Amino acid sequence: MKVGLFVTCLVDLVRPRIGFSALRLLEGAGCEVVVPGRQTCCGQPAHNSGDRAAALALARKVVREFDDCDYLVTPSGSCGGMIRTHYADLARDEPALKAAVDRLAARTYELTDFLVNVLGVQSVPGRFEGTVTYHDSCSGLRELGVKRQPRALLGMVPGLEIREMATPEYCCGFGGTFAVKYGEISGRIAERKCEDIATTGAGTVVLGDLGCMLNIEGRLRRRGDTTTRVLHVAEVLAGPDE
Amino acid sequence: MGARENILKRIRASRGVGPEPTQSERTAVEAHIREHPVGTRPDLDWPLKDRFREQCVRMSSTIDEVATLADVPRAVAEYLRENGLPARAVAWAELAALDWSTSGVVVEDRPATGDDLVGITSVHLAIAETGTLMVLSGPSTPAATSLLPETHIAVVPMDRMVVAMEEAWALTRGTHPDLPRAVNFISGPSRTADIEGQLQLGAHGPFRVHVIVVG
Amino acid sequence: MTTTTQPPRSTGHSTGVPAAPARNGTGTFKQRAHDKLHDAKVQRAMRNFNLAGARARAVDEVPNFEDIRVTGAAIRDRALANLDVWLERFEREATRRGTRVHWAESHADINRIVVEIARAANVRKIIKSKSMVSEESHLNDALEAEGFQVVETDLGEYIVQLARETPSHIIAPAIHKSRDDVADLFQEHHRTPRKDSAADLTMEARKFLREHFLSADMGISGSNFLIAETGSTFIVTNEGNGRMTTTLPRVHVAITGIEKVVPTLEDVSCLMRLLARSATGQTISNYISMNTGPKQAGDSDGPEEAHVIIVDAGRSRLLGSDMQEALRCIRCGACMNHCPVYQNIGGHAYGWVYPGPIGSVLTPNYIGLENALDLPNAATLCNQCGVVCPVKIPLPELMRRLREKQVERGLRPWQERVGLKAWAWAAERPAIYGWLTWVAARIGRLAGGQRRLIHRLPGNGWTQERDMPAPEGATFRELYAKRQAGRR
Repeated sequence: MKVGLFVTCLVDLVRPRIGFSALRLLEGAGCEVVVPGRQTCCGQPAHNSGDRAAALALARKVVREFDDCDYLVTPSGSCGGMIRTHYADLARDEPALKAAVDRLAARTYELTDFLVNVLGVQSVPGRFEGTVTYHDSCSGLRELGVKRQPRALLGMVPGLEIREMATPEYCCGFGGTFAVKYGEISGRIAERKCEDIATTGAGTVVLGDLGCMLNIEGRLRRRGDTTTRVLHVAEVLAGPDE
Repeated sequence: MGARENILKRIRASRGVGPEPTQSERTAVEAHIREHPVGTRPDLDWPLKDRFREQCVRMSSTIDEVATLADVPRAVAEYLRENGLPARAVAWAELAALDWSTSGVVVEDRPATGDDLVGITSVHLAIAETGTLMVLSGPSTPAATSLLPETHIAVVPMDRMVVAMEEAWALTRGTHPDLPRAVNFISGPSRTADIEGQLQLGAHGPFRVHVIVVG
Repeated sequence: MTTTTQPPRSTGHSTGVPAAPARNGTGTFKQRAHDKLHDAKVQRAMRNFNLAGARARAVDEVPNFEDIRVTGAAIRDRALANLDVWLERFEREATRRGTRVHWAESHADINRIVVEIARAANVRKIIKSKSMVSEESHLNDALEAEGFQVVETDLGEYIVQLARETPSHIIAPAIHKSRDDVADLFQEHHRTPRKDSAADLTMEARKFLREHFLSADMGISGSNFLIAETGSTFIVTNEGNGRMTTTLPRVHVAITGIEKVVPTLEDVSCLMRLLARSATGQTISNYISMNTGPKQAGDSDGPEEAHVIIVDAGRSRLLGSDMQEALRCIRCGACMNHCPVYQNIGGHAYGWVYPGPIGSVLTPNYIGLENALDLPNAATLCNQCGVVCPVKIPLPELMRRLREKQVERGLRPWQERVGLKAWAWAAERPAIYGWLTWVAARIGRLAGGQRRLIHRLPGNGWTQERDMPAPEGATFRELYAKRQAGRR
């Protein structure tokens, strides 16, 4: 089984260790993992900014780079959702591309969804001492149905206890370029999320999207919380690189 | 009628069809009305009276039960006494015609005005799904009686109770080929939450809706 | 708190849409949002506002609620697909029953028609049940300018009318007001001793409004639906003011949009199961007032004249377009109740009649794309609105399509256009992109310092309210290439 890892542009630039965690999880589960070296971005920033042409160009690029993989797996509900639910509309006027997009979309998975629903993993290498709370990223949850999967996997980590927040499905306020264009509103939404996290008393918030991660960690630090850790679910599941 | 023609033309232009509706379009519309299919509904498989009672309470109505219509005056008198309400009411003709002589309640057969405190009505139908009273306007069933008084008492014969709104329409099409001026659905007392989201009963209409099921 | 400034802007739009009401704040969307975010009263009110929980509980009781949503969307789509034919059918039936049907192409038409009806019937006092379409046309101002007394009777609408504001929510118009605000307003306008509790304030409003109900000549309402089968209007309220408005005055005028027509009584029965649950979490609203024609022979109550005004004012342009789904809307407010942006800034920041996600779609369509540039962009696209919409309007997708239209028409700021183009150009060129990210990862790492946090980024959009966690210092692509080389 040849799995193409789509690292995502944010992981590539900001948190490479998450990419390596995803890699270890997939290899550990017996997958042959390839990382197409020319990959950059799925095109979502352009798509959400209304630049259809730029989004289409990048969609074309992703389809080309992952066409020969059995699966495309990505540690992001947001990028996974883009490929799986939005590429088809971008390609609507090009039958050949549309066919390739449909093929790829059907084989595209968010990492935890893939581990649970395709690979059916029963154990994970990670170890964790402490209580975590899980933030559902909007795209993963509402575009891909990622809800139970990360919790099932975290439940396999020895020593880890999950304590749910009051509204784990409430948006963190990231929204891509929204966070920059409407920073003040975005920050207030993030503040509500941080309050919810703080109320759980969990020492760590775990999530599956780097956008939410930068937003929540950035707001936690700004509000003076220097101790609550913010981790990608792949990091917790994979454990430290040895 | 310039505006009318312009709007209808604009709609057709936006739809990308010719300027006049075709016969087949009109036929399709009439066919849908004639068939008036019932769409997907929730599970409606519960005991009628139990569901009605439960939903009335949920909508903040109070509910009582008597065996026959002749028991209504006594039940009304008890309700008014227990709630410290005046033993004086206006009622729809069919209820004013009951024997109120021993009940101690003075009942007048006339539409309610803004000064009447208790209004007694029957119902056209009652809907179990939502604990709803369906009342129709008419010469002997004035709308004001269930609206203006602070207390509305509704008498609901069991044979007037239906499962859901669709069943109510099915019966009403038979009894009223032309709907009366007003078809009102009432589900509990008037309420508002417009001040800080705090629920208050009796915003404009009745503070209390008391339902007496008969049979 | 709020000041009246800014003359109405001309939109240059063919339907003569009036400008955004300036009474609820001034300037741009961002400025208004900023003001609301720093208005302690509004913030307290918005924190206190939660209808989402009630909806969730009500929906949980109906296991096949998703199927009913599908049916509801199909009912609305059926009406929209043949809208003109359904409207004709409604008109024919309503006319047969004695209702006078009027057609308004523009907001100016609405106000003119209402004034004409009121003059012809020698009306002095007018009571209103809630009508959002009349908010679009500033009907109250137009009527007052002609010398009519107008009293809003929905408690929330009455409060905002006393405050000379406009609604901040489509079903909870005064949700931005505190109990103290209401107490002040009532004391000032009613000239009564100040009341403190919500209960006492509600009772005082009841007393004052009851007198208006009984003395008004004309009642104006919206109409949640128009029933084509029977030619009826269909008004849903919890307070009962809709019933009062349609029962007591001698003239009733219902004002509603062309899109509100629903084919049959069964169809509206289905939509009611969706509407109340989605709006307030009730299984049904307390009052549904369905009116067909004027008072009949022998009736002791009911209006002598029944009018319906069917309004276009920009709606017909959405038909057949990639925005048509927005016309399914049944005005429950669920999208705003669940919107993280609305929950923080409240309704007035949106600047026009309809706030929240549906407002961000309708406003640019009704007053012009160029007059509401922020609205479709001021959303995280979290799709919480889309999943709760009772008629399955794909709200984030519609907002995204509006963003595309802004780009197509060159309405975005040049900095954004250039930035996006440059980024997309690089992202298509892996070698250049790799070099740029190589540099950025290192600069970011340095900027983060010991605490690995960047406190200020260019433009300050991100760092206004939060820090930016610094990059690790090398990109995944270069580290992975090294790893692969080491393995070889």
